[in-house]
Amino acid sequence: MILSLLILNKAGGLVYHRDFSNTFTKLSSNDYLVLAGTFHGVHAITARLSPFGPSSGGTPSSGLEVMESEHFRMQCFQTLTGTKFLLFTEPQQPNVDVILRRIYELYADYVMKNPFYQIEMPIRCEAFDRHLMAYIKPKQ
Amino acid sequence: MSATKAARMGEEVWKTRIDKVNAELVTLTYGSIVAQLCKDYEGDYLEVNKQLDKMGYNIGLRLIEDYLAKTAPQRCVNFRETAEMIARVGFKIFLNITPTVANWTSDNKQFSLVFEENPLGDFVELPDDGRAQNELWYSNLLCGVLRGALEMVQMQVDAHFVSDTLRGNETTEMRVSLVRYIDDELPQSED
Amino acid sequence: MSFYFVIIGTKDNPLYEAEFGTWKQGGDGVARFRDEQRHLNQFIAHSSLDLLEELQWAGTGGSMYLKCIERFAGTAGGGSGGVVGVAGGVNGAGAGGVWVSVFLTAGNIKFVLLHDTRADEPIRQFFYDVYELYTKTLMNPFYSVDMEVRSAVFDGRVRAGVKKYL
Repeated sequence: MILSLLILNKAGGLVYHRDFSNTFTKLSSNDYLVLAGTFHGVHAITARLSPFGPSSGGTPSSGLEVMESEHFRMQCFQTLTGTKFLLFTEPQQPNVDVILRRIYELYADYVMKNPFYQIEMPIRCEAFDRHLMAYIKPKQ
Repeated sequence: MSATKAARMGEEVWKTRIDKVNAELVTLTYGSIVAQLCKDYEGDYLEVNKQLDKMGYNIGLRLIEDYLAKTAPQRCVNFRETAEMIARVGFKIFLNITPTVANWTSDNKQFSLVFEENPLGDFVELPDDGRAQNELWYSNLLCGVLRGALEMVQMQVDAHFVSDTLRGNETTEMRVSLVRYIDDELPQSED
Repeated sequence: MSFYFVIIGTKDNPLYEAEFGTWKQGGDGVARFRDEQRHLNQFIAHSSLDLLEELQWAGTGGSMYLKCIERFAGTAGGGSGGVVGVAGGVNGAGAGGVWVSVFLTAGNIKFVLLHDTRADEPIRQFFYDVYELYTKTLMNPFYSVDMEVRSAVFDGRVRAGVKKYL
């Protein structure tokens, strides 16, 4: 069961937020902005916290990727361009990687290819919403 | 990623995950853009080059996400790897051509892309008003695309053509140089 | 045998013209027209346009491609062409018989070939060859319809076509 999706731009601002379920209490829209900014900062800090240094492949360690609790699981996918996709799901949701990949593909198609979408601005693309709902709904 | 692996990945993505469109449609569309720009700027070919570069830059900013979504690559370790990925995967999935990477400088910060075929320039003959042959870079959009796309992955590069078969030269060659890595905005840096 | 070839645009303006001599039977490819004949060539080509237009619009159902073949006594001018025989020069200039073959493209561009001996099949092939070259020229974004064709490449290839077929 997928709970919600947040998309953050390079600067850490919230550009997209969508809830897919009614089973949890919602925050106010301002709270979501604060949540996004907080996560951006935490992600940056955790990127430097790793005690191991660069992995064997020579790639530097990334920031926070997964956070789990009894009630939910949060996974963060950061693209090479700095955009972050946060997906909140129930703890037992399988294949979150695949879902995030697919959401990234939808983003690349319906948001980036829309010439009237200004980069780093809030996403108001109806096609993206539609395709996202069509993809997520069958999984609920 | 090694060059052969990159080539294989490019081929595989091209075959399976890319919608195809008629090549002549692309050629004619691009041709009408260039022809209209030449008319609008009344033969100021240097300005036309700049506009093509600007258009390409805006395309590149967005195209990079499509490239990353389709190929899901690891971050390139060095600039040499970046060049191979551009040539064998990038150009392959968007134009179905594989330019050759050549002429590296000793500090590995500059290279050339040599194009054996250029679908944008099929059937094109530059107008013979004396200046187009010396001033217009017909495929300059591609330079802008590279510039915009690489900027989104924290590399500032300069790309420009040095020769073009449409101008009567032997080859079509683009020179790409790395100006600097842009890593002040993004906290993810080498430690 | 000498040939005069001209491409005429939609506004009856000439886009390209060339003279050839035959390469067959030991010909050296140089056109040999008498001096008066040169001026006549252009005149004959233009006057044949009237006849061509009549045919163009007389066809039924808009399919003028094959109709022309039947209309002319035993002569076939290719898919969308017609052969018009113009006997002699004008104003009693006494020139010998000059045949006019015409190929009409879908974009209303006319390829007109003047020749002194009939040779339907090679001329038809030549016309189709030039048609292909013309469509490639149209693909050039810097070329618009009814513009003169100045490309040296085009000229070279047309001449090669002459060598091959005529």
